[in-house]
Amino acid sequence: MAVEFRLPDVGEGIHEAVLVKWRVKPGDTVKADEPFCDVETDKAVVELPSPVAGTVSKLNFAPGDVVHVGDAMIVFDADDDTVSKPARPASVSPESSPAPATRMTSQPSSAPASVPHSPPVQAAPDASAEPPARRPLATPHTRALARKLGVDLAAVAASGKGGRITDEDVRKTASRLLQDTAEALSAAAEPVPVIESMPLVTHEAGERLPETAERQSTDFGPVERIRISRLRQLIARNMRASKATLAHVTHVDEADVTDLDAMYRKVKQQVADMQNVKFTIMPFFVKSAVAALKKYPVLNASFDEDNQEMIIKHYYHVGFAADTPEGLVVPVIRDADRKDMIRIAQEIADKAERARERKITLDELQGAGFTITNVGPLGGLFATPVIPLPQLAILGMHAMKDRPVVRNGQIVIRKMMNLSISFDHRMIDGMTAAAFLHEVISLIESPEMLMLRLV
Amino acid sequence: MVVGTASRGCQVAVIGAGPGGYLAAIRLAQLGKDVLLIEDAKTLGGICLNEGCIPSKALIHATDLLEEASHANEMGLTFTGLNLDIKKLVGWKDRIVKQLTGGVAFLVTKNGGDILHGRAKFVTDRRLEVLTEEGPVLVEFEQAVIATGSRQVELPEFPFDGRWVIGSREALSPTSVPERLVIIGGGYIGLELGSVYRRLGSHVDLVEIADELVPFHDPEVRNIITQRMRHLGVTLHMGHRALRMERDKIARVIIAGKNGKESTLEADRILVSVGRTPLSGDMGLDAAGVRTDDRGFIRVNHRMETNVPGIYALGDVVGGPLLAHKAYREAKVAAEVIAGNPSAFDNVVIPAVVYTDPELAWAGMTETEAKAAGHRIVTGTFPFRASGRAMTLSAVDGFAKTIADADSHLILGVVIVGRDAGEMISEAALAIEMGAFLDDLAGTIHPHPTLSEGLLESVEAALGAAVHVLNAK
Ligand SMILES: Cc1cc2nc3c(=O)[nH]c(=O)nc-3n(C[C@H](O)[C@H](O)[C@H](O)COP(=O)(O)OP(=O)(O)OC[C@H]3O[C@@H](n4cnc5c(N)ncnc54)[C@H](O)[C@@H]3O)c2cc1C
Repeated sequence: MAVEFRLPDVGEGIHEAVLVKWRVKPGDTVKADEPFCDVETDKAVVELPSPVAGTVSKLNFAPGDVVHVGDAMIVFDADDDTVSKPARPASVSPESSPAPATRMTSQPSSAPASVPHSPPVQAAPDASAEPPARRPLATPHTRALARKLGVDLAAVAASGKGGRITDEDVRKTASRLLQDTAEALSAAAEPVPVIESMPLVTHEAGERLPETAERQSTDFGPVERIRISRLRQLIARNMRASKATLAHVTHVDEADVTDLDAMYRKVKQQVADMQNVKFTIMPFFVKSAVAALKKYPVLNASFDEDNQEMIIKHYYHVGFAADTPEGLVVPVIRDADRKDMIRIAQEIADKAERARERKITLDELQGAGFTITNVGPLGGLFATPVIPLPQLAILGMHAMKDRPVVRNGQIVIRKMMNLSISFDHRMIDGMTAAAFLHEVISLIESPEMLMLRLV
Repeated sequence: MVVGTASRGCQVAVIGAGPGGYLAAIRLAQLGKDVLLIEDAKTLGGICLNEGCIPSKALIHATDLLEEASHANEMGLTFTGLNLDIKKLVGWKDRIVKQLTGGVAFLVTKNGGDILHGRAKFVTDRRLEVLTEEGPVLVEFEQAVIATGSRQVELPEFPFDGRWVIGSREALSPTSVPERLVIIGGGYIGLELGSVYRRLGSHVDLVEIADELVPFHDPEVRNIITQRMRHLGVTLHMGHRALRMERDKIARVIIAGKNGKESTLEADRILVSVGRTPLSGDMGLDAAGVRTDDRGFIRVNHRMETNVPGIYALGDVVGGPLLAHKAYREAKVAAEVIAGNPSAFDNVVIPAVVYTDPELAWAGMTETEAKAAGHRIVTGTFPFRASGRAMTLSAVDGFAKTIADADSHLILGVVIVGRDAGEMISEAALAIEMGAFLDDLAGTIHPHPTLSEGLLESVEAALGAAVHVLNAK
């Protein structure tokens, strides 16, 4: 019988893991509970044990891939007796002789359907649990939740009336399972931060909300507690770390984008028709920024505080901020200096789309030396974006608007856009940042000049 | 590949357009899959719509009406000239079937699914050959759902010939009413069709090898069903086996009791309803590597997965109670699993209805089963004789019975015999599926006057607090 192993949800906001390595290959025989692969969550590297005894028939991921909760990672051909059979009633018997014809049984089984793909670690059933013949009492809704979280209902301590299992009971068990997993493995495996070279703030005071936060909120009316996603946790950590480490300063200037806009409008449809790609104005900014970075390399750098060294990057990997339903992520366009604008537009569209679907790989979120964020759609005058570590600067694009401006002593209407450069003042002086921004603006304001600078 | 063979691809190929297959196809299309629904027959809907649930219920309703009309003089209603036009009746039934099967095709295509008519056969675990009227078509798929259903079992001594020996399909499209009908097999199909033909005027002999009808039910259920069949005028030959037939101008069925004593039943038609067998042969399951059990039912797990990754099966062809609503639920599970959702067939009960008069419906365990499962039980029964609504409907036969765990009061099973029992059983199914206790149901207001109050009263009786009947001391 084919058995798929799906990455179980162990709660604690972990929605995905990175496959570190396979310990088996197709054709290998495995014993039940034998580890078949290592995955890395942001908590730990965990060995996943085989749910069945049998042979490996298929591996669905390669090392380095991001596996989401619920993804079928591997298919086993299980030795039959190790698979829990569906709760099947004795069937309507097609008798071979004139016989009591169709007979219907009333009950598929009094045993609850135990989901064959149970989580890697199972909580020991409560010693005081009811006799095993009794099915765990849970509504179809709660049962579906348990399946989603990879929780075996038999292992859940019920808090509801008459031994009913509530949604909350299921959630509690899910997070206990996670803790057990993490604790069991913490000795063996070193916790690894997910984002490369991301200096995490150590557990200083103020990591958690002060206790009064809760009391104050509940004092004034009903509240709701919502567990945040793993992505949100990462964002929170990274934002804190950035704000706590860098000396943020933001410099704002305006650019006349009338000509750029006109040119963009001219080519937009053609590009869309020819290349089947949604061409945006973003690639112009990527290209202008790359040109300016070449002139001011300190904005394409990191700071190694331990060794008191500046790390200047000789590549131009540009991150761009993309909104997803779960929160902000920053996919990276590698070697933006060696790609044409259509290619960049394609990459932006593709990566933003996959980021929204949470199909982007960790690899594609790493390695940027500089980031651009387009906050224009939000309106406003300008914002002061947070610099993603370990970078030192971020370019902000703000709303494009028709504004009256003075040209040759006349008030004329031009398409204007505010641009901001937020930079780490420890490493970058205001003058350098302003000069960088000026360079960007001069290219943006005259696309011809930008063209001349393209390699 | 054969030269000249057409071929096409799809994400999911669904084989068989019965309740299981068509629902899987619709749901998969809704979930964004590129679905191809393959059906051998000219119309969609499978056994259920074409020659099962729907046609049988149409005929049952019509003959119920006939029965009620002929017994309404108590209410001061006498009908004269009440006539049966069998052609018209079958025509009415056919129109219902046509409307429903057409509706299925509409829903499949409007949701974005494709339909291919032809007989499908696996050539590998990723490829099907479909024999269509225009010739063979190769279909490559990423996933497949097998929902080929079942067919009626044929007895070697009574081969189907469409004239003397018929199955349920022919019985549901009669051109005439036989004077003497012998039914072999007293399962629900035999009981339902026996009632229909009796009311249409046939003399009905029912031969059943078991000693009891609905043998797996508790005694009071068996008794009332048996009594009602007798009352209706069906001659029951319990504990008898049909051995063979002889034929000249009429047919004769030779039957034998336990002691081997033979007797003969005269027949103008013989209906064989001794069960159904899965349609899993002749479709290349070996080529795909899909395993079946020794009776031909395809083996699946809770996620409707067969032993071959990417191939799913559901409905009658995987066994279990051969019921359309079981197929429906399995189809939803399979579609959701294919779409990557964590779904599983984890139902506690599969309710069932037998459309006799009165109807028999149940959900969950019988008393015997509950005890066997280790429960100490309490039961409560409410006879419809004490229901105001049942009296006004002139339908006082039957009862509602609730079985619960004596210690926890968890509801374990409900059986209802009575008018519209099939409509009422869903409340019990919901209660059991939700893990309801007796007082959950007792604390729910049931509208008055309805038959559903009978269920409420049976629950209260189990609590020792019935109102409209005296509680057992
Ligand atoms: C007289 C009668 C009364 C019934 N009454 C009820 C009732 O009241 N309630 C209830 O729940 N159930 C009832 N049933 C049972 C119900 O009809 C079945 O449980 C239900 O139809 C099963 O659905 P399915 O999708 O599994 O298969 P089916 O309905 O059998 O459909 C299978 C389909 O697959 C097609 N097929 C098979 N092999 C191939 C192939 N190789 N290639 C292409 N197509 C193929 C067939 O043509 C068929 O259309 C009744 C059955 C009968 C016979």
